Amino acid sequence: MSARVAVLVFPGTNSEEETVRACRAVGLEADAVHWNADLDEVRRFDAYVLPGGFAYEDRVRAGAIAAHDRLMTAVREGAAEGKLVLGICNGAQVLLEAGLAPALGGDSSIQAGFAKNAPLGKFRSTHVHVKLAIPPERCAITAHLAPNAVIPGWASHGEGRLAAHDDVLARIEREGHLAFVYCDASGETTTEAIPNGSALGAAGLVNAAGNVLAIMPHPERDAWTFNHHDDSRERARGNANAMLAPSGGIALFESLAKALR
Amino acid sequence: MTVTRYVEVVLTIPDNEAETALTTLRRLGVHVDELRRSDLYRIEVEPEREGTLLETLREIETIYNPNKHALRLRSDVAPQPGEAWIDEPKTVDSARGPVHIAGRVLPGVWGLERLVAWQLSDSLGKPASAEVVARAAETLLCNPAFQRATTNSHIRPK
Repeated sequence: MSARVAVLVFPGTNSEEETVRACRAVGLEADAVHWNADLDEVRRFDAYVLPGGFAYEDRVRAGAIAAHDRLMTAVREGAAEGKLVLGICNGAQVLLEAGLAPALGGDSSIQAGFAKNAPLGKFRSTHVHVKLAIPPERCAITAHLAPNAVIPGWASHGEGRLAAHDDVLARIEREGHLAFVYCDASGETTTEAIPNGSALGAAGLVNAAGNVLAIMPHPERDAWTFNHHDDSRERARGNANAMLAPSGGIALFESLAKALR
Repeated sequence: MTVTRYVEVVLTIPDNEAETALTTLRRLGVHVDELRRSDLYRIEVEPEREGTLLETLREIETIYNPNKHALRLRSDVAPQPGEAWIDEPKTVDSARGPVHIAGRVLPGVWGLERLVAWQLSDSLGKPASAEVVARAAETLLCNPAFQRATTNSHIRPK
């Protein structure tokens, strides 16, 4: 029996469909679970994915209200039990606001946040690549990726700039919480590759235990040939099977699925 | 040479964001009866342009919509009892030099920063205590990793 993954939906979430589809494409049993679901039912899932969107309209701050939603009770309990938790974009913002990432030293207070993009402070949607910046096994969700794996995705956010005090940023780097950094298509980390001025070039953070991953770009929006940004889409034109083949960002979901087997 | 002025933009229609924040604070055990929110702009303006500042902002209609906002110059330059001002030091909202809004220069304005002012009160409409304001800021209104909360209790008499 495949692992059951809950893709959590708050009022304002908008990426649950493609996230559920990406999970199912790699053999997971995934369901969209809404904010009013029975908590005991939610607790029965093996893993949680918090997808992108604008939970609670980003009121107060991106992710701030959802971080205190009752659904997060199940996520906190699950994370403490070692269940896998993946937050994508708005989901990543929620995880930081909930103190589930980076959770330096296992501390669940708010240690960092995703602040307004720099330099313009505006919403930006652009194709990006991210590189695995930790040994794959440091995080259960990335454990089946190749070392230094480069994953394509879409950065699509107004608040994606990692911000924290200098001592926290130093610890994020030193203690192995910097899971993904922005890079170019060849894996080179350059200033130009960072779409939002994020500190450390950070695109994703992992918690101390290695079971909670918060990643800003959307791998599920570049997970099939038909939505690739490179020429593979043109090459597949006229070939439905090739066009519908999972690839690119699906790698992160494949690694998640292998971790759950 | 400029002077610092605070311009407040407050909704005149129901504020869903404040309502959501209030509900969340109560759920987190912070006892607040009423919560109001306003956008606050800290503006560095030349003294001779100060008199036309509000009129210019009204004309531009970018930070202010006459159908749903009230716009006023605040005479106080610091949070009042029951208030928390949240800002993001050194953020992209800060501007130095001639300030543009919606492609138009704000005449005589050399700096503009946006803050959010939260006003907490009890069931009698009195300002919430300093402890309640601090707890509201800590639990929800401010992310200390990149924001700063300034409250009335932080202001020490000279």
